[in-house]
Amino acid sequence: MSGWHYAPLGATAVIEAQDQARPEIGHGAELAERAELLAHRQAGRRARFRRLATGAAALAVLLVLWQVGAAILGDQVALPSVTQTVAQFAHYLVRPYPAQGKPLWFDLYISLRRILIGFVIGVTAGVAVGAAMSGWRFARHLIDPVIEVIRPLPPLAFIPLFIVWLGIGELPKEVLIIVGVVPIMAVTTVAALDEVPEDLRLCARTLGASRRYTLLHVQIRSALPGILTGMRISMAGAWSSIVAVELLAATSGLGFMIMQAGDYLDTALVFAGIITIAIAGLILDTCLRGLLTLADPSRRR
Amino acid sequence: MTADAMRGADPAAPSVGRVAAGPRPGMTGDRPEQLPAGGTAHVVLESVGKTFRRAGRRTVAISGVSLRAAAGELICLLGPSGCGKSTLLRIVAGALECDEGSVTVAGRAVAGPAPARGMLFQHPMLFPWLTTRKNVLFGPRAQRAAGTDERDDPELDAEADAILETVGLAQFSDAFPHELSGGMQHRAAFARAMATRPSLLLMDEPFGALDAITRVRMHDFLLRMWEQYRITIIFVTHDIEEAVLLGDRVAIMGGRPPGIREVIDVPLPRPRHAADVDTEDFLTVKRRIRAALTA
Repeated sequence: MSGWHYAPLGATAVIEAQDQARPEIGHGAELAERAELLAHRQAGRRARFRRLATGAAALAVLLVLWQVGAAILGDQVALPSVTQTVAQFAHYLVRPYPAQGKPLWFDLYISLRRILIGFVIGVTAGVAVGAAMSGWRFARHLIDPVIEVIRPLPPLAFIPLFIVWLGIGELPKEVLIIVGVVPIMAVTTVAALDEVPEDLRLCARTLGASRRYTLLHVQIRSALPGILTGMRISMAGAWSSIVAVELLAATSGLGFMIMQAGDYLDTALVFAGIITIAIAGLILDTCLRGLLTLADPSRRR
Repeated sequence: MTADAMRGADPAAPSVGRVAAGPRPGMTGDRPEQLPAGGTAHVVLESVGKTFRRAGRRTVAISGVSLRAAAGELICLLGPSGCGKSTLLRIVAGALECDEGSVTVAGRAVAGPAPARGMLFQHPMLFPWLTTRKNVLFGPRAQRAAGTDERDDPELDAEADAILETVGLAQFSDAFPHELSGGMQHRAAFARAMATRPSLLLMDEPFGALDAITRVRMHDFLLRMWEQYRITIIFVTHDIEEAVLLGDRVAIMGGRPPGIREVIDVPLPRPRHAADVDTEDFLTVKRRIRAALTA
């Protein structure tokens, strides 16, 4: 699960050929290798830019197809055009919908708050559970079956139960997110910590690191990319949970707003809501991916 | 080892102030080859034994191993897989406890891993999230956190730069491990181990996963570094040629229960080079060791 490459040596090396060709360690050869390294890094940046440009182009094509399709169909209820969707979005972003309701930004804020509260609690608990399972065999044998039973269940199946137990306030929504996040985080944390090679720990110890220092600066640090990958997976799950519960049992939030717009056949606003979710999800995932890139230098290409 | 001493030595020079030997002088010169019993050997193993117990089954990993290494000596432990050579190395490192006998390094009984006993593995085990330079600084910084290293940042930085210069990675101090070639990764791992100034280096088949060409290069590198730093090295390998090329002595391991069967002197002159493997004297020693291995 973690991103490190303890692959066979040389498999991922970028300047292997240079290293082979050099007769001896000398400054000339070293400078040439240095230039090679910098060129490689720059090529990586260019490739990244090309990748982003390609992705943006794909999205642009999709928008054009949508606009053309809507024009051909000519039915605003079945398929509103891009421009109509954008207009609805801009209109209701700050104006209440329906008239006695809340503006879009407020629903977005409500949904985000539910997700973030549930996500932060769920990640903290999940990482703690995973760390306990990785470090303590008894805890693993105790918790593993529980997680294996809960994990395949869609969190949505718990919605009626949480409504009965916890009502329709904020708490059941946050608990729902937590229930979805904890098993994923526990499993990915265990996998990431298990994947830290025993020799890496020994290495740190022979370099004079204390047990505590090794745990913090080597074992947990080494598992960090795997944990962040787990967070990206749970974040995606959290979005689907929150929208679903808002569709079913809420009086605010993006899911509720979409449901209302659907009831009034305001399809353009439904699309606006969906796109808001997509953009908010993308922004949160980009933040997590940014952290992942910071944590794992081999992804900076 | 001061920073100046390390910088003063040109890493490209094959030997550092040591005369290439003329006629076969054997293992003489300024390196004490074998200290008398009871003397001040650097590493002393006294009838070391280790038995693993797993699921009610007892497996004797090594038994009755006695070995002495003088300060500055390079000893190779040679044997097939499963002969307990890695287990023995880990016991000296302090990663495993022996259940029989005693291990003494520099007059002190081994208890747990310590920076005076550096270790290198088949995989370089660099920290992937740290640059080469920060990898080298890991040991000193960890020790500073533990209160066993008093040096401040400028001092540590100067030492790290000096070591990187010595191993030929000065231009790669800001590169991450995944940006280095296999040979470079091993040189970085060596630099990191040397940054804690160990008196003993334990090497567990360090070049086993490298391709043949890089391996030869690493042999020359290690021989040069050893001449320069003059530390004791215990080198585990299953390659006869590697053992003969590097070792002052070769301890042949194997048997049931596994232990050291024979310790053979390698009377080849120093400094040695990877190219020496074709000489007649080399082949003579190699043949002798092969005979001892298959005996």
